[in-house]
Amino acid sequence: MGTLAIIRVDHVDKSFPTRHGTIAIMQDITFDVKDADFLAIVGPSGCGKSTLLRLIQGLDRPTAGSIVFRDRKVDGVAEGMAMVFQNFALFPWLTVSENVAFGLEALGWEPERITSQVERYVNVTGLDGFEEAYPREISGGMRQRVGLARALAVEPTVLLMDEPFSALDALTAEGLREEVLQLWRDPQLPPEAVILVTHNIEEAIQLADRVVVLSRRPGHVLAEVPVELPRPRDRKSPAFYDLTDRVYSLITEGGAPPASAGGPAAS
Amino acid sequence: MATTYPKCSPTEMLGLLVLLNDHKGSEDVALLADDLDLEIDEIFPALEYAELLQFLKVSDGRATFTDLGRKLVAASIRERKTIVRDQLKKTPLFRTILRALEASPEHRLTDEEFGHIIAFTTARPDGGEQNIVNWGRYADLFRYDADAHAICPARRSTYRKGGDRASPPNVGPGSETAEPASPKGSTGGTARGPGTVSAVA
Repeated sequence: MGTLAIIRVDHVDKSFPTRHGTIAIMQDITFDVKDADFLAIVGPSGCGKSTLLRLIQGLDRPTAGSIVFRDRKVDGVAEGMAMVFQNFALFPWLTVSENVAFGLEALGWEPERITSQVERYVNVTGLDGFEEAYPREISGGMRQRVGLARALAVEPTVLLMDEPFSALDALTAEGLREEVLQLWRDPQLPPEAVILVTHNIEEAIQLADRVVVLSRRPGHVLAEVPVELPRPRDRKSPAFYDLTDRVYSLITEGGAPPASAGGPAAS
Repeated sequence: MATTYPKCSPTEMLGLLVLLNDHKGSEDVALLADDLDLEIDEIFPALEYAELLQFLKVSDGRATFTDLGRKLVAASIRERKTIVRDQLKKTPLFRTILRALEASPEHRLTDEEFGHIIAFTTARPDGGEQNIVNWGRYADLFRYDADAHAICPARRSTYRKGGDRASPPNVGPGSETAEPASPKGSTGGTARGPGTVSAVA
């Protein structure tokens, strides 16, 4: 595939009918996700960031436009993608190992293969020792490692992360972001690309190669900001600060919808 | 002197060390907290845990890496667990837990026995016993079976393979902390489970 896009989001609109008319969530969203891309999507709350991830994974359909994943239009849940959720989305009655195994069982893997795959991803995420623990027994940081291990275990081409650090306390989030970058740097591990949705601008610039900045609802792309700072990134460097400032200004100033904005604004 | 084991998860402590690394390895504690928009007391538990494990030192309100702390932040996810493991094993509480686990006939510690150990070592686990259990799990020092409510040996057990017996917890009899090896009076302090070789050189 070379530098071709793994995912192409092409003029995507999404709106929801309500009793008060149709509400446009996002309009004319277009961007590519390339091989080895760590892409962040930022924007104010309600701009449709999370909805966009759902559209990409095929959990929901665009009202107009299309999403193409490896040359095929996404139509129904796409294989080759896995999601890490803000609230971890673990099954409380399953142990850590069983939660990690869940996606593989859903894919119909053989039991022996599941066992060795679970062991591998429990180990790479630092969860060994917690195999028999239940989610209720472990900290938020460990729970999100389970979410991560479960997603990576299916060896997705694209890893989707929906506010994965937002439910964690600040220090835990700091620790886990650093470990996610370690995993991302490891060429032995999936995925080939990451899409991170976050409302945290610093987090986006700390992690991503490119930041897609969305406007307020109806969300549209205000800019695609490349982040060319070497990793690990110094949050205190002037270059980092300038980028943060630029994205922040885009979001706060650039809220006006495109000329054709249709549908009643949410009142 | 009672050692405190604050309410802090391993990932939280690692986060603090990553943060300190962002500040070139030495920073005023108030400024560290400020960087994450936290109140200073919100980073105390992580600071205390990191100090307990000798990854940093706090003096005059300033946190500074030790060599080991620097080594930890530079290490991989896997290596970090090993480093934390080695440090935890030096703490009175974890040393005692491991000894008791070794000494108990079935190599299991019930919740109640675990409670006794905590009382014995006069450790104050602010974060509760669950927090202690999770550090032990993270460092792969022991397992916890939530269904049986018992601590069990780590999977790469020190009990099954004679070859591993040299490394574990005990510093040997007569080391400075002379807690009874087992909280269970009936087994006696020197009891060893069946089939285990006391290989302390």
